[in-house]
Amino acid sequence: MLRKEQNDLLTLTGPGTAMGRMFRSYWIPALLSGELPENDCPPVRVKLLSERLIAFRDSDGRYGLMDEFCAHRGVSLWFGRNEACGLRCAYHGWKYDVTGRCVEVPSEPEASGFAKKIALRSYPLVERGGVLWTHMGEAAAAPPPPEWEFITVPRAQTFASKRLQECNWLQAMEGGIDSSHVSWLHRGDLDSDPLFKGARGNQYNLSDARPVFEVVESPGGLYIGARRNAEGGQYYWRITQWVMPSFTMIAPRGGHAVHGHFWIPIDDESCWAWSYDYHPVRELTPAELTAMRDGKGIHVRYVPGTFRPLANKDNDYLIDRAAQRAGRTFSGVEGIAMQDASLQESMGPVVDRTKENLVSTDNGIIMARHRLLRALKAFTDTGVVPPGVDPAHQKVRSAAIVLPPDVPFTEGARDVLVARPSVAPASV
Amino acid sequence: MQTESARMTSAAEARFRVQAPNSTPRAMLVIALDAAGRRVVERLAGGGWRHATFLTAAAPDALRDLEGATRSVRDEIAAADLVVFVAGPGGHAHAVSAIGLACSDRRVTTTALIVGATTADPPEVSRTLAQLRPWSLMVVVAEHDDYIGDMMTALRA
Repeated sequence: MLRKEQNDLLTLTGPGTAMGRMFRSYWIPALLSGELPENDCPPVRVKLLSERLIAFRDSDGRYGLMDEFCAHRGVSLWFGRNEACGLRCAYHGWKYDVTGRCVEVPSEPEASGFAKKIALRSYPLVERGGVLWTHMGEAAAAPPPPEWEFITVPRAQTFASKRLQECNWLQAMEGGIDSSHVSWLHRGDLDSDPLFKGARGNQYNLSDARPVFEVVESPGGLYIGARRNAEGGQYYWRITQWVMPSFTMIAPRGGHAVHGHFWIPIDDESCWAWSYDYHPVRELTPAELTAMRDGKGIHVRYVPGTFRPLANKDNDYLIDRAAQRAGRTFSGVEGIAMQDASLQESMGPVVDRTKENLVSTDNGIIMARHRLLRALKAFTDTGVVPPGVDPAHQKVRSAAIVLPPDVPFTEGARDVLVARPSVAPASV
Repeated sequence: MQTESARMTSAAEARFRVQAPNSTPRAMLVIALDAAGRRVVERLAGGGWRHATFLTAAAPDALRDLEGATRSVRDEIAAADLVVFVAGPGGHAHAVSAIGLACSDRRVTTTALIVGATTADPPEVSRTLAQLRPWSLMVVVAEHDDYIGDMMTALRA
């Protein structure tokens, strides 16, 4: 349970809000690189943290992200012409460079210098690992670019997708650290999804639906360990990483790729669910890439031409009651991502946490809220840089590992919870 | 025409959610297993909790309230919905086995919190973990003691 004022504090991320200011401390994913595939390509509308923006790639390959609307009459620059190192408004020809500076006002004499008085709010946009990242806070406070392992491995080893999720970022993110739902909602997928099946660890999952959880604070957020019995009195651990404010990495399975999410607020009632798969030491296979593009694993199929999932609330998530009755899916919704999203969206745009009844196994969620509120207070009161901003906090890995019964998983798995180039992940 | 899912997930529809209470209070028993746990429990006890009782482990199968009066493990567990163990590193949480056994017999959910772990040697934490794990459905290792209060609030203590 959260009090209403705490719920508001964590869920509202628009300009001027406390959580919005803290989100603006981080580099956050804004677009896939493929959305701006070539120089002078069409601009793309972007909404992040309740701000309407336009992204474009100029004639020299530089990326820009700025206020969507022309400073002249408020026209959307989505209609603009991307030409000769600038985005030109289709209405009266005002032109902006990638930093948002107005470089041309055709109706005014060049010598008047009028254009120099015009500038749109803009944010940096940098490419790392097939994703375009932005920092929407004060430029002087921008940390070094992100160092998540999935964007630092060679491109052939990584795949990222994004999908629209029609609810507040926090309830989506909390689903990512709610480990106890996996044995219920996703129970039909571990043995059938091509990106999960075949791992020895799946048998531990399926033979023990009541894992025991341990939550331990990490430098950037939390380690959430789920413990099941293994052979010889040992424990099988699945260790999820949560790094503030909204990054998760799920424990791998067998030789499959490692995967996880970012949840980034679009506005207070919708967010981008970013999903990545990568392997630290090998290229993704054609079969894996095909499966990811086909919406398997944690990815989805789309309404053509959009990032909206094909199964969405406008078609009742294509619910299949016969599959639910037959046990092929637990909720009747197909696919891991939409099984999660459909339930999280059913809570409403922003869930009322004053009415929830959490239980002991929800301590991962409780601790994440506790850490967010604690960081928010330190950030707001004294300007303390929140956890997760430091690139060292981003060099993490999840792990699946078998350990002796008396070993704290943070000790037994210490080395494998850190991203180490060219070292295989700990996986069972 | 909108689907039912589209209509029902709108902000407008949220106004029609049933406002009646959807739960009755749960009784939480917070038990300090060692000296470190006792310090935290004594501080927490002054927080004006409505549904929490604070005790310390005494003899192997006895509990004491914060005034020093002896309480029966079996009676206290029988009245609890959730038992929270609080202990520090060092392996002084021996009492957990007798209390944990009573919880297990009564099917009472248990959560364990290890306080002061970030400044302790890992082997010290390991000793306490080894004592708590067999009897805890959930174990939390928190950097700050104030987490316990937040957790109790979240669980409606």
